[in-house]
Amino acid sequence: MADTDEATVAMIEAANDASLDAPTCDFGMLLAAKDLSKTYGEGETATHALKGVSFDLCNGEFASIIGQSGSGKSTLLNLLGLLDTPTSGTALYHGIDSATISKPARALLRNEMIGFVFQFHYLLPEFSVFENVAMPALVAGKLSSAEIRSRAVETLGMLGLEGLTDKNANMLSGGQKQRVAIARALMNRPAILLADEPTGNLDTLNTNLVYDLFREISRETHTAFLIVTHDRSIAERTDRILEITDGELVADVRNSYLQSETS
Amino acid sequence: MLPLRIAWRFLRSSPGQSALIACGIAVGIATQIFVGSIIISLQANLLDTTIGSSPQVTIQAIKESDPVRFTPAMKELVYGDPRVKPGSVAPVRSVPALFSNGTDSATLGLIGGELKDLNGIYKLKDKTIEGKASLGNGEIMVGKEFAEKFGISPGDAVALSLQGGQSGSFTVTGIFDLGSSQFNARQAFVSGKVPQNVLGWANDEYQAIDVQLVKPYDSKAVASSWSSRLPGVSVVEWQGQNASLLAGLVAQSASSYMIQGFVLVAVALGIASTLAIAAVQKTRQIGILKAMGLSDRSSGRIFLYQAAILGVAGSSLGVLLSFAILALFSLSPAPFTINMDPKFVAASAAIGIAVALLSSIIPIRRTSKLDPIEVIQNG
Repeated sequence: MADTDEATVAMIEAANDASLDAPTCDFGMLLAAKDLSKTYGEGETATHALKGVSFDLCNGEFASIIGQSGSGKSTLLNLLGLLDTPTSGTALYHGIDSATISKPARALLRNEMIGFVFQFHYLLPEFSVFENVAMPALVAGKLSSAEIRSRAVETLGMLGLEGLTDKNANMLSGGQKQRVAIARALMNRPAILLADEPTGNLDTLNTNLVYDLFREISRETHTAFLIVTHDRSIAERTDRILEITDGELVADVRNSYLQSETS
Repeated sequence: MLPLRIAWRFLRSSPGQSALIACGIAVGIATQIFVGSIIISLQANLLDTTIGSSPQVTIQAIKESDPVRFTPAMKELVYGDPRVKPGSVAPVRSVPALFSNGTDSATLGLIGGELKDLNGIYKLKDKTIEGKASLGNGEIMVGKEFAEKFGISPGDAVALSLQGGQSGSFTVTGIFDLGSSQFNARQAFVSGKVPQNVLGWANDEYQAIDVQLVKPYDSKAVASSWSSRLPGVSVVEWQGQNASLLAGLVAQSASSYMIQGFVLVAVALGIASTLAIAAVQKTRQIGILKAMGLSDRSSGRIFLYQAAILGVAGSSLGVLLSFAILALFSLSPAPFTINMDPKFVAASAAIGIAVALLSSIIPIRRTSKLDPIEVIQNG
């Protein structure tokens, strides 16, 4: 992180401390997607994966993105996660325009504000469960060893993984690996957790376990969740559904509507 | 130091691959040290054989038959020059003699001087293989080949016919071997008084002032500076008289450097290719670390540290291996011993580490450029 310009670091830290007030958000505005578009290729072969998607997300909001395979929902999540760069448009985190900051500053923003959970766990097989979970804090380099250990143990406890601390990541079951990946995503206490089909490789039991955990964590830590899924029943367990079809945001449905429709 | 920690863990996760690459560096560095040390020792041996027991700079009269006067000024110049090896200045007089044992005869060049002076140039005490080094009145030291040819042993008397019809009988005190059969067969050492009496020269008149230097390759500069300060005499030095030997040494050094250079290139290619493969193998891990916020610079450092660890381990192992090869070599009946110069060994190890670091450029560039989305999208 030493190669990030100091001004950007200060800006991100200030943004972390005081999020923008938004009249519609109880805990302030977290994220603003502004006309996000992504086009692969050029000319006649160009594929428009995402076409001008705009929406806002509040701190602590528990939302999902739903859409058919190839609809552009993962592309949207990657753009929001600053893993990919949009062809046009931008994503603002606590008012910081991700399009205008340097690459190291984007890395810092990812490290401090965003947690990722993917369909595949992407654990580092060379490291233990504890080290995998601690890795985002080690990358940040801000906490002492004792603080990192204490927080990693606490996070593993939140996910019921206390006994697995010193095991190699390769030794775990699929469900355990995914829970370790979730613990890792939460290690830096991010403002938002972006999850792309996080239970795609899990059985029903583990799937329910993961979503119950997401909900509990969201409630306890006010971490915002944005979960990509193609499964409507999963999406309906969230407070808000953003529906993507052919790269366009075609619906943005709130919890109250869902409740009234399902009741 | 997260990149170092990750580098170490990556290396430990593939112990076979890490050991192989370290062994590759070790073999390269051991070869480099061994070949380099052989050439250095061989050249030192050759140089020592050629000029180690002979004058490296000689002050003589311009006309060969004339004496050169070893004046106080000349003494001050020669003895006061720091480039001159202490105790290695020998004023000598030489005369030809004819040896005859009744049935056989041979010419013998008599080199006359003080034993302590001659010892400084010819290492007579060390090179005496039978009897002892002594050059008192009526005493003579003869060479190994001469003694073998005529069946002479220490204590024997030899009769010599000297220049101007004089003759004399000398007692053999010791038999020397200066490493040159020609010298051993044709030269003998006597007291300085013998040639002085034959030639009828004054006490400060000599055939030549023989000198050895601290650094033999300084001979050109020494001869040049003395020539300008000693008018009326000739100053000759070994390099001017051994041009072909010098050319041989230079060619030998060039071939040695070439071998060492190719060894290093082979080592560099080995490390570079293995590290590049390691970078590909760890693409997923690097991608996810970058997604977590690891910077391009830090992710590049992972492979720099891997190269540094492999370079240090491989070079250290290489130094140990070279010692083992040297120990094995010392068991063989080689005509010379290999001496390892600690500076050369340290330089070789440092070069090994530097080559390893340079070899990490490709994986560092690849890793730095890797975009986490490539890993996320491709699973």
